[in-house]
Amino acid sequence: MADLVSVIALSHAPGLTGWLDQAPEHEQKSLTEGFSRLGEVLRATRPDLIIGLANDHVLNMPLHDLHDFCVGTSDQWKGPAEWFRDWVNVPFYDVKGNAAAAQTIHAGITGAGFDAVAKSDLLFDDNWSVPLYYLTPDYDVPLVPIHMNCVVPPVPEPKTCYALGERIAEIVANDLPDGMRVAGRGTGGLSHDPGGPKYFDVDEAFDRWFLELMESGDPDKVLTECTIEKMVAAGDGGTTELIAWIAAMGAAAGRAAHTVCYEPSKELRCGMGCVYWDMADAPAKARETADA
Amino acid sequence: MGIANTNRDLPSNRMIFEVRRDPAKYGTFAENFEAIMEEYGLSEAERQAFRDLDIRTLGALGVHPYFLPQVSRLFHGTAYNHNKSAAAQAYGKSMVTEQEGDD
Repeated sequence: MADLVSVIALSHAPGLTGWLDQAPEHEQKSLTEGFSRLGEVLRATRPDLIIGLANDHVLNMPLHDLHDFCVGTSDQWKGPAEWFRDWVNVPFYDVKGNAAAAQTIHAGITGAGFDAVAKSDLLFDDNWSVPLYYLTPDYDVPLVPIHMNCVVPPVPEPKTCYALGERIAEIVANDLPDGMRVAGRGTGGLSHDPGGPKYFDVDEAFDRWFLELMESGDPDKVLTECTIEKMVAAGDGGTTELIAWIAAMGAAAGRAAHTVCYEPSKELRCGMGCVYWDMADAPAKARETADA
Repeated sequence: MGIANTNRDLPSNRMIFEVRRDPAKYGTFAENFEAIMEEYGLSEAERQAFRDLDIRTLGALGVHPYFLPQVSRLFHGTAYNHNKSAAAQAYGKSMVTEQEGDD
């Protein structure tokens, strides 16, 4: 029996490492301090493994062979993929994986009916490269990446993602090695529109509403109110990445999230923020609605 | 135009998918993009939109929206991609300014 010791969610937009100096000084300070603090929160829980969920950005799952989820089954990862290196502006890095744990997770989620494939040769772009740079700058915590289809309809529904998070928490508790300390991490969002007409805009009202929803500790409210349509309206091209945060909330048993920072950064072309769930807090009351 | 209108079978989508993944393919794209468009069997409309870097038309033809800013970076470079960068400005000129101008 392994322990889920922490769960976090954060934006991964590349401006955070690629052109942060172009943002107003107050945004630079808030985001640098906030993301560093989130790293401290994560590392204080001494994870042996991080299970991450993030948008695949149509980088590994081609349009003609899409699945809701893709589990990365390798003992060793490299990033960023070459074409993305200058864009994310971080050094090439190596980070360990955990193929055995990944295969256990893949079997555990496909066995429960989720649409997931496994790949051992995933390429990483900003989805992991930006979070790793801030959260584990020594690249010393092994990662099981789970890529998601967030941008090619039909994307997995929020209730499916929440249930996936719950299922991952069960797998951690029941099927991963005794004594292993595991962290959950969702990355992506908040509002942004790569590929759409709102490329240079941020929907601050949506973002603040979404963060309050995460802080509610009320899964029924999240799954009723935060629809795909609502996310798409806040930015067609990227806001739906927030299904990774909803999966993280599911892993955290619907606890109320604690917001660390938020900035509606037009220069980074993304609502930027991060939250954590304190596993010492009381879990949410049992959900009223059934899973997908 | 939007994410719901992607043409999954469009040759441009397969070309962009692979060019970003494979440094050798990107090398070919950078050095001789007429040859790589031929290799992937792009239609004449797709080829002309690439030659003109007409991002809006590529979107209308069914290129996945997430690929559109990447197309701009394939031509203008990926580094320091702030709002005034050549890549962001080229995207904006095609996708934001002209669209607003049509209203």
